[in-house]
Amino acid sequence: MGNQISIKIDGKSITTEEGRNLLQVARENGINIPGLCYHRKLTPTGACRLCLCKITDIRGMIASCTIRVKEGMEVIAFDEELEQTRKFLLDYLLSEHNEHYDASYEDEFRELKHRYQLDDPANRKFTPIWQDLGYPVDGTSPVLIYDASKCIKCFRCIKACDEVQGKNVLSFTNRGITSYIIAGFDKWNESECDGCGECIQLCPTGAIVEKPHREKIDLEKIDEKVTTTCPYCGVGCQLELFVSNGRIVRSNGAEGLPPNDGRLCVKGRFGYDFVHSPDRLTTPLIKRNGKFEEASWDEALDLVAGKFSQILDEHGSQALAGYSSAKATNEDNYLFQKFVRLVFGNNNVDYCTRLCHASTVVAMLKSIGDGAGSNSIEDYERADCILVTGNNMIDTHPVTATFAKRGRNRGGKIIVIDPKWTPLVRHADIWLQPRLGTDVALLNGMMHVIIREGLIDEDFISSRVEGGMDTFSQLKELTEKYTPEMAEEITSVPVGLIEEAAILFARSKKSLVATGMGLSQQVIGTNNVFSLLNMLLITGHLGKEGSGINPPRGQNNVQGASDVGTSPLTYPGYIPVGDDDNRRRIAELWGVPYESLSGETGLTTVEIVQAAHKGIIKGMYIMGENPMLTDPNLNHTEEAFRKLDFLVIQDIFQTDTTPYADVILPATSFAEKNGTVVNSDRRVLRVRKAVDPPGEARQDWEIILEIARRMGRNIGEYAGEAAIFDEIAMATPMMAGISHDRIEEKGIQWPCYTKDHPGTPTLFLEGFNTPSGKARIHPVEYIEQEEKPDNDYPFVLNSGRILYQYHTATMSRRNKSLNDFANEAYVLMHPDDAARHELTDRSRVRLVNRRGELETSLRISDEVARGELFMPFHFSESPVNKLTRDNLDPHSRIPPYKFSVCRVESLQYVSD
Amino acid sequence: MDIHKIMSGYTPGMENILNILHDLQDAHPMNYLPEHTLREVARYLNTTLSSVYGVIGYYTMLSTKPRARHIIRVCQSPVCHLMGTNTVVEALRKHLGVGLNEPTPDGLFWVELSECTGTCEVAPAIMIDREIYGDLSENAIGNIISMIREKSGKVKKEAGH
Amino acid sequence: MIKENRIVLKNLGLIDPERIDDYISAGGYESFKKALRMEPDEIIDEIIESGLRGRGGAGFSTGLKERFTSEACLACENRYIICNADEGEPGTFKDRIIMENDPHMYLEGMMIAALAIQATRGYIYIRGEYYRSIERTQKALEDMRSRNILGDNILGTGMSFDIEIKRGAGSYLCGEELTLIESLEGKRGYPRIKPPFPAEKGLWGFPTLMNNVESFACIPPIISNGSMWYSSLGTKTSPGTKIFTISGPVRKPGFYEVELGVTLRGLIFDLAGGMVEGKKFKAAVLGGAAGTFVDESLLDEPLGFDEMKEKGATLGSGAIIVMDETMSIWEMLNSILRFFEHESCGKCIPCRIGSKHLLKLMQEVKNSKNGKGLLTGNLVAQAEIMARTSLCPLGQSHILPIRSAVQYFPEVK
Repeated sequence: MGNQISIKIDGKSITTEEGRNLLQVARENGINIPGLCYHRKLTPTGACRLCLCKITDIRGMIASCTIRVKEGMEVIAFDEELEQTRKFLLDYLLSEHNEHYDASYEDEFRELKHRYQLDDPANRKFTPIWQDLGYPVDGTSPVLIYDASKCIKCFRCIKACDEVQGKNVLSFTNRGITSYIIAGFDKWNESECDGCGECIQLCPTGAIVEKPHREKIDLEKIDEKVTTTCPYCGVGCQLELFVSNGRIVRSNGAEGLPPNDGRLCVKGRFGYDFVHSPDRLTTPLIKRNGKFEEASWDEALDLVAGKFSQILDEHGSQALAGYSSAKATNEDNYLFQKFVRLVFGNNNVDYCTRLCHASTVVAMLKSIGDGAGSNSIEDYERADCILVTGNNMIDTHPVTATFAKRGRNRGGKIIVIDPKWTPLVRHADIWLQPRLGTDVALLNGMMHVIIREGLIDEDFISSRVEGGMDTFSQLKELTEKYTPEMAEEITSVPVGLIEEAAILFARSKKSLVATGMGLSQQVIGTNNVFSLLNMLLITGHLGKEGSGINPPRGQNNVQGASDVGTSPLTYPGYIPVGDDDNRRRIAELWGVPYESLSGETGLTTVEIVQAAHKGIIKGMYIMGENPMLTDPNLNHTEEAFRKLDFLVIQDIFQTDTTPYADVILPATSFAEKNGTVVNSDRRVLRVRKAVDPPGEARQDWEIILEIARRMGRNIGEYAGEAAIFDEIAMATPMMAGISHDRIEEKGIQWPCYTKDHPGTPTLFLEGFNTPSGKARIHPVEYIEQEEKPDNDYPFVLNSGRILYQYHTATMSRRNKSLNDFANEAYVLMHPDDAARHELTDRSRVRLVNRRGELETSLRISDEVARGELFMPFHFSESPVNKLTRDNLDPHSRIPPYKFSVCRVESLQYVSD
Repeated sequence: MDIHKIMSGYTPGMENILNILHDLQDAHPMNYLPEHTLREVARYLNTTLSSVYGVIGYYTMLSTKPRARHIIRVCQSPVCHLMGTNTVVEALRKHLGVGLNEPTPDGLFWVELSECTGTCEVAPAIMIDREIYGDLSENAIGNIISMIREKSGKVKKEAGH
Repeated sequence: MIKENRIVLKNLGLIDPERIDDYISAGGYESFKKALRMEPDEIIDEIIESGLRGRGGAGFSTGLKERFTSEACLACENRYIICNADEGEPGTFKDRIIMENDPHMYLEGMMIAALAIQATRGYIYIRGEYYRSIERTQKALEDMRSRNILGDNILGTGMSFDIEIKRGAGSYLCGEELTLIESLEGKRGYPRIKPPFPAEKGLWGFPTLMNNVESFACIPPIISNGSMWYSSLGTKTSPGTKIFTISGPVRKPGFYEVELGVTLRGLIFDLAGGMVEGKKFKAAVLGGAAGTFVDESLLDEPLGFDEMKEKGATLGSGAIIVMDETMSIWEMLNSILRFFEHESCGKCIPCRIGSKHLLKLMQEVKNSKNGKGLLTGNLVAQAEIMARTSLCPLGQSHILPIRSAVQYFPEVK
């Protein structure tokens, strides 16, 4: 906080902080100085000159957006001369401007025109000149249109792209009155523009407008604007949905709300088509004679309840399991796990987290006692050094990446560790490109350098690590042999780079780690994260603002689903199922006998499938998951699903998995739900209903309760989602202080133990969440992969995500805009490998290994290293998981999606 | 022309973009900056396409359109204008058969207007590539053009041998 | 009969500009060596006391600029010095004369200024059209390096410093100091918001000293002969010599270095030989496009920064564009306004749009049979609002030639 000072504007005394922007201060105090180029999120531009004012001791008129306030400043914001001058400038601007307006956007210029009585051309001094200036229209982008004749050259779009999103895609071309905005070489669709639409949101005149659904948008006829949480990744961006005639017609970033302050990515802004897709499930379906037939809810629910009961009777409780959903709310998930624990009578409940960050969470729980990200998203901007490991954040968590890039623009450093080039490399100071699966060797090598250079934080180790320097000495001993030279040999990262990165990371005052699937989805995933934690602990980069470890969550409620107990290992609040005291507490809360709650650890995601394959699991209840695309070793998974006696799937679409179901129940999408989710920085955020569910689709939680009821079990009566959350708060100590009321405006970061607790932006400031309050170092050795490339299968295949599609693409591929950007499966191969195998770009290839095969299109690119391949996993026509393994990490049961050997065969035809 | 060799004469920072673009344009026989070259520049400078293209759009000496072997810049700023820019343009049209902003059919010349070349003491003046020609009359212009034609003819012949 | 007093141009025609030995034989780099033995503050004091005012046109004290830069942000790891060689003001070519004929003179001045402000690196931003200036400067810098006047451990003093050339590429506005910095950083030439001034936050946000070529070239003589000597030349408030460049229908157009305070008549009729056969003096435009029209009533006024300002005229960069009685003021003004319209960057509304409307209005003035007065009144009024509201000096320039043309020449009215 700066010094409090007093200034006067037009005689009104205002107290504010020294150094703030005068225009902003004036507007906040109800003094509405006009202006078009200024925006609170951007650096001042001083281009439109409309905010001119007079200030004591400064000669003439001066643009208030360029002035910082100081004590005693006296400002004239309105007088005859200033107003006449503003009117003159607006009159000028009108002559350059195409005034056509279609009511689909907010037009700040139009409002000013009205305010200064310039609507009537008779009141204007200047005749139009814009028609002769040859202003172009660029409509080539899949998501937006730029019309230079409506552009007032205020720089807001350029700065939105550059300063807010860190992309720098836009520029002007030409100069003077003929200048206009360009992307790329004056062709939007061939530029680096990724369609986030920040420029649209900040354009004051409708020069840049979105393409999708424009014909449906009339701002006069918007019924409702609903603030809710984005349904895609785990950043938890707050959206403002515009609803017209029961349909969403626009998605804006909600300005001023954390975590995103109005920023979105292309999916958040343009990825809502799926809500109104004609493919939505609208009625229950029952499979009869191998075909799905529409059924009534009564019919379907009775069948489900009956079958589950029958399996329970015939095979006992161990024959049933459930997959819950990271796409559903906390309320849905909480009731789902309650259902499994109470009605199935076991702990066989899991969901996709097992497939993404299970190893991270296990390692973090063991080392520091919490599996969630330790920092706020804002810390990506505040840190001095960010180490991004196996985390393609520009594609997977685009808005988190904006914080990182903004941090870099302020002088922060970025180190990327990734075997594959990612767009963040462009913004990185150092990129380490280790061979797939060699992270432990690399990290041990870095620690070797840190120790050698004397860059450890002894105070931190002594005071905050169990065993202090004694434990450290074990790690020191272990890393002694990992000289940078040895690390180079294993990882192929040059010694110099290892040293440079290690020193930068250790020396920086605040270093932050953003880890991702690249580290976690390996047979040695837990070891990878142990190693990372070791490095953080010996350098003291934990438990401080701006320092810590953060595994951004893949889906909008991966974090929350775990938090509220959708886990075979833990109850709500990460309390182990074996904890008797907790089971007693929960039993009381749920009003059931303590004995009825199983204390046995349940089966994890892949274990459930393996048990089904063995015939142990007979029936399954899947809510909003698509394992037939996401599980490893899909051919094996398919056999398992075929063996099930009874499978119920509750979803919003038919998926790759629904063909194996016996009953499909139509559920609601995010836009039809009320409730909460938890994002990657532990913020409990509201989800709000914007539109009605299609057809007979029902709320997930209502369906769960109804199945229970029809099985003769009442697992609770709730007036609504807020009431469910109140029970969650009682069951989950770290959320005890949170309720829907409290997060009506802004989310709260757990832990939040009481009603007056403000929430916790940074974890571990006082101590770690372990019994001793201290962290634990777990020295780990590098272990070679069991699966190795050989003559038959010479390539190592990596898999992951791309920006424009999402997870199994059931939602994202039902958006025209996203498909226009990217709608094709492919495999990336290094140019040298392609040359050696005589393969050409865009040719069709077949990937084969012991587990299966698939066909796809080849893309030649040096984004991957020699001998390595990369495939996105979104596309069901080329399901990469036919090739992945279900050998699990022993600690966390996560499958190694990032490492499968295979060979590539040429197919003799070329794709379009 | 070796794009990378030219670029590597400068460290890959944005502060070198104008020097790099000048060198690349000068090295191109048609005195311009083709798109594929600009892609390489953006890559080399680790920047976006528009920041390269936008810079070119601002500075009048740089062109993304093919021009010709020799660029004739006719100064149109106040002094030359006063002393006869129009006469010079007309004389060039007569001797070259083309107007402004189009190449001669042989691809040898391209005439464009420019602002003050800082040679006002010999106004009206033109600049052909790197050389200034001043105190121009219609005849003088004819002589200059034939001299350059002759020279480039020789160069062609020699190259032919 | 006035005479030239060549101080900056003292070597002109006497040495080979491509041979550093020639320059050294003529006493070159002695000032720099002297400066090496001085404290930075002493150098700055000397320059302040000389009264030297910036030769780029604004006329601000060169020494004070150095002081501000040397005192700004002492914790900053970088401090830059930039030579503004983006000479684009129509009618002006003095810097080209210096760079082509005696490049070491301004480079030596730049080295001394670098010492004075403890600069870490230097840049010379030369307009792209000045090929010969670029070549000569390049050669001079190479020779300086080979003589250890530039580079590491300069002349054994432990000082390390280097200078790089950056080429402009066709933009008048890039001669404006903050715009030049943007351009040097590799961006489009948009002016920055001022303040902060370059002395405080210049190149890449570091303290930066920027001077014109001629200003730097004045420094070696000041250091070797002392501030007293320099301030005794010229007038009290505009000491020293200045290179004027005279163009238009005079017998001997060209450049002339004279002490400030000489008259226009002396320059045009004595040095430049008067009007060409049979032509009569009508007007002169002083200071280039961003300058002012004067008529013969000002021929005998002394040329100094403040003296001219008092008369509503400007000394500017030293350009003197002479017009004879056959030439049209309207035509000249129109050409100037066309030039401004071409060079307006487009960032701020008044300059971008006003430049266009002024040109439009000029057509109306030309075509009007009567009511011209109203139109020119409008012209002045618009240009005045532009001047008051524009972001940078370009939009504030239109008013100068317009107002003076209307003031001195009834034909425009």
